Amino acid sequence: MNQTIQYEENGHIARITLVRSRINMEMVRELTAVCDHLEDNSKCKVVVLQGADGRFCEGIDFAEFKPDQPMDIHGFNKWEKISARIERLPKAIIAVLDGPAKGGGAQLALVADAVVATPNATIQFDEVHLGFLPGMATFRLAKIVGLGHAKRLIMQSPVVTATEAQQLGIVSSVSADVETALAETIDAFGPIHNVAVTLARRLLNESFSTEFENAIGNFLAAQHRAIHQTPFLETIKKHQDE
Amino acid sequence: MIEPHPKILSVGTANPPDRYTQEDILKLFRVSNPTVRSMFSASHIEGRHLVIPEPDENGVPHENQEALLRKHRKWSLRLAQEAIEKALAPQGMTTADIDYLCCITSTGFMLPGLTAMFIKHLGFRVDCHRTDVVGMGCNAGLNGLNPTANWCAANPGRNALMVCCEVNSALYVYDDEITTGVVNSLFGDGCAAVLLRSEPPEEDLTPRIIDFYSHIIPDEWGAMRYDWTTSHGKFSFYLDRDVPYVLGIHAETPVNGLLERNGLKRRDIDHWIIHSGGKKVIDAIKYNIGISEYDVRHTVNVLRHFGNLGSGSFLFSYKRLMEEGTVRRGDRGVMMTMGPGSTIETALLHW
Repeated sequence: MNQTIQYEENGHIARITLVRSRINMEMVRELTAVCDHLEDNSKCKVVVLQGADGRFCEGIDFAEFKPDQPMDIHGFNKWEKISARIERLPKAIIAVLDGPAKGGGAQLALVADAVVATPNATIQFDEVHLGFLPGMATFRLAKIVGLGHAKRLIMQSPVVTATEAQQLGIVSSVSADVETALAETIDAFGPIHNVAVTLARRLLNESFSTEFENAIGNFLAAQHRAIHQTPFLETIKKHQDE
Repeated sequence: MIEPHPKILSVGTANPPDRYTQEDILKLFRVSNPTVRSMFSASHIEGRHLVIPEPDENGVPHENQEALLRKHRKWSLRLAQEAIEKALAPQGMTTADIDYLCCITSTGFMLPGLTAMFIKHLGFRVDCHRTDVVGMGCNAGLNGLNPTANWCAANPGRNALMVCCEVNSALYVYDDEITTGVVNSLFGDGCAAVLLRSEPPEEDLTPRIIDFYSHIIPDEWGAMRYDWTTSHGKFSFYLDRDVPYVLGIHAETPVNGLLERNGLKRRDIDHWIIHSGGKKVIDAIKYNIGISEYDVRHTVNVLRHFGNLGSGSFLFSYKRLMEEGTVRRGDRGVMMTMGPGSTIETALLHW
């Protein structure tokens, strides 16, 4: 039984609600179990990641650290592993932000394929001001907002409003009626062919760190896989029938 | 109580002393065809160990089929001697301790085979059991490992050695054509020896070989093959340009089969030990079975430093993985080799 998150499936949409406001190892375990289910059994095409009680997620739970105990890096590694796993799920991943997304919560928003926000949503990378690092947001953020903005967001730790986050490209739409905005975003993703979505996302995520000579080989390998899947075969069949 | 699944106790490798960059080879053989030249530079190979004679009176190295077969025989013995010594010495063993010998080669035909030659010259016992796997190509390392592992399971406590011996420079045909250019830009010479034994469980970092799963694609029978070319008076290797894609699209089938039979998911696999078939082959495998650049780091490195070493390539990658120190007890790995047939062979390891 989940204690830190809530999981439900409705039609082709799965919803993960972060019930606990701060990330602890139990949340990492529960998210891992949900990812197992989503990879192995679920027919869902969309995963919605949302908070509760007027916030998305307020970051890591410092209560799990003890000043008199040796510092443990492995918990951070587990967090990065689950973040990367959510990022690579063979579904469309949409984060819904309402209220603060801080620290690890802000990091989590960056792994989504799209971010929908209410006007009172905020994003803040507060880690550096607290003496540690904002996880692999150091890797992901600059690709989304550019290095200049990434330095500002991570080193000056401003509270970024939903509107500013939209201008920066972190948030895709802002609306007081977030459920309608979410439904429109899901619609915009179209049929969501798992293989095409997963491969397109992987190539995009690799784009800044791969040389063209390697990227072209990667693309051809991925394209060859895509064009042998049912959706593309149906596309050309439909085209012929017309 | 002896655990039947055999352990991989050690691996030794050897390469001939001379190493050539791609540019060295282009110069040496005076390759002018721009398409062939670009194949060499786009191969993602920095250098390869090869056995190449001095240029003849025409200014280019030349060997007839007889010389190539002689080279294969001579260098198989030299490389195998070094690789076997490196595999056995750390175990405090010699060739006299080996009860079963399996030799793999596709780069030269001989009769009697490599096992007989190694017994004559390298000190193996005359009652050593033998198998020669000849002409199965780059995938053959796992085709040989399967019976070797089965022999170990049936004969617990006894020692089996498998030797993959490929003198790829003994199948080179040099002209200015694209067909030979593909082959000449890719393959390197090297030998790997691996020691197996079924023994009681111990707290160490040697993996057990749990299972094998094969897959052949009969429709692609001719995609990789030896042809006799009368104009050259030699065998030459033909490699279809679609090979990487064909292998990629079928890669999931044996991987899924292997994992499902053992109740595992892809995420349960910590280490991927994949044949260094070529850059495009590695890319195709990566995107079709959804593994990362990190997962293929040793495969890519072996390709970069040695080229495609044929049947022993995956053992070079395995050796690098073990030397890296990232393996932990309980980890699982998949070995995967691809080659003519067209064939994809897989094996499951458990540390």
